[in-house]
Amino acid sequence: MRKALNSLYQASTALAACCLVVIASLVVFQVMGRVFDGARKLFGLEPLGLQVPSLAEIAGFLLVGASFLALAGTLRNGDHIRVSILLQAVPSSVGRFLNVLAVAVTCTLASYFAWHAGWLAFDSYSYNETSYGIIPIPLVYPQIVMTLGLMVFSVSLFDDLVQILTGGEPSFEAVVEDDPIEGKE
Amino acid sequence: MDLSLIALFLGLGMLVALAMGIWVAVALLGVALAAMIALVSVPAGPVMATTIWGAANSWDLTALPMFIWMGEILFRSRLSEDMFAGLSPWMRNLPGRLLHVNILGCGIFAAVSGSSAATTATIGRMSLPELKQRGYDERIAIGTLAGSGTLGLLIPPSIILIVYGAATEQSIARLFMAGVLPGAMLCVLFMGYVAFWSLLNRSKMPPREDAIPFLERLKATRRLFPVIGLIVGVIGSIYAGLASPTEAAAIGVTLSLLLSWGSGTLTRKSFVDALMGATRTSCMIAFILAGAAFLTVAMGYTGIPRELASWIGAMNLSPYALLIALTLFFVVLGCFLDGISVVVLTTSVILPMVEQAGLDLIWFGIYLVLVVEMSQITPPVGFNLFVLQGMTGRNIFSVARMALPFFLLMILAVVLIVAFPGLALWLPQSMLSN
Repeated sequence: MRKALNSLYQASTALAACCLVVIASLVVFQVMGRVFDGARKLFGLEPLGLQVPSLAEIAGFLLVGASFLALAGTLRNGDHIRVSILLQAVPSSVGRFLNVLAVAVTCTLASYFAWHAGWLAFDSYSYNETSYGIIPIPLVYPQIVMTLGLMVFSVSLFDDLVQILTGGEPSFEAVVEDDPIEGKE
Repeated sequence: MDLSLIALFLGLGMLVALAMGIWVAVALLGVALAAMIALVSVPAGPVMATTIWGAANSWDLTALPMFIWMGEILFRSRLSEDMFAGLSPWMRNLPGRLLHVNILGCGIFAAVSGSSAATTATIGRMSLPELKQRGYDERIAIGTLAGSGTLGLLIPPSIILIVYGAATEQSIARLFMAGVLPGAMLCVLFMGYVAFWSLLNRSKMPPREDAIPFLERLKATRRLFPVIGLIVGVIGSIYAGLASPTEAAAIGVTLSLLLSWGSGTLTRKSFVDALMGATRTSCMIAFILAGAAFLTVAMGYTGIPRELASWIGAMNLSPYALLIALTLFFVVLGCFLDGISVVVLTTSVILPMVEQAGLDLIWFGIYLVLVVEMSQITPPVGFNLFVLQGMTGRNIFSVARMALPFFLLMILAVVLIVAFPGLALWLPQSMLSN
């Protein structure tokens, strides 16, 4: 069970990272196409009109994937920002209670959000909504990805809630920080 | 119930939620949800989903993960060593000598990275041990680094300016250009202070080293040329209107990978580490932005920001009085909150007030980032302090004391951009895309 859950979080975060790689590659292709066309123009040739169609929209959708699929992995790596002054100042029993509270509130909110994101996706599906660009993309796909990301996030929060309530340490406090700049601005 | 009373409750609720250690993004979402449910008859859940979907799916915001990734790649390259080796021969004869490496190094790294934590860590990793070994006073070495590390926020590319631009629907390209001159001005102020300090404290400076001949200096600097090329390429193409910030950022990622490959630091591990670090950091910021987007809409429904704006408007404050009040408020807030949270709270609640006072929103962005820079070095919550605590083992309060002069210089910088708004507004107005 532990192993399956961890692989779920890892797979989700890895997919998020892939979204970033795809965004970067598409944008670089677009710029190279423009530079190539510019060069053709210099030599008096017709520009080929090389471009990635609907790039702005596709990149926006991929960004949604990158942001939401990484939620669980970011939580478990202790990278979501919180004010921890009080947590560090109070005795550990109170700290545990505050952690239970924070995780429970977040888990409730994330599930609520996932539920409504799911309905948003369902509505887009039933009204057949698409993006406005050259390539019309059904909005249901990126919205389902957003919902899935929120679901994985909710699962990971529930996982942590069980972990603390059974006397364990929450994942985000057990992290050994090896990258001094991650999760900071 | 009276609206101002409700506003007070919501504000207190937010502070309590944050203080209890609820994640910032979740606190924003929760308060927004509470406000919607208590005050508005519109169904809260669907509004939440639609608003956040709209805010998260944005081409402009795509620049955010790209610039974070670029910073992560360069942080893992040899840039840290190259920066010290390349800059120090030129600084030996200035009053303040190698201390200037901290400031200029941070200024240069800030121009390829949008984060103050990355800037501080990259420059400090090499310069702190080197300065210590050469006998420089550790307190001023750490202080200069803490102060100039914050330049990462102001000098483009800047993560926090992207956040501000996304939250207020201002052009990110213009915001970037507006940050250039104030950033350079801060560099000059810091360097002036260090020169002055070293003349007053000769006893704390190590013995002078011999000057290095000009050609040798150039040779030592040659490894910095690719970085300078990267800066000119990224910022220049945005200024010239050749590329949008997202495009410049994606090209920047590619060039940084090439640069890292060229210096032999690109391994499978460093690539994956940088990518995963960027994924998580940008997820953290996107989550906060999602919370802020919903809070902005919820506040719009409740009408609290409009009330606040007209209440402030009725007081007939001069813009200067308003700015003094805001600065005090932000400095206090910045002691407990990180910069991005300060910015998104501001944009959700007090932006109508700022517009009412007739302040330019591009200018206000630069002002806000300058004030947020101060919050990076105010205890107990200041990210530069955390980074330096990790690097030096000094506790954050003593690091903050070493950084105090730089905090005061930043206040001076705020006064200067209030007195001369052109410092921020001249470059964006002269952009070639106009």
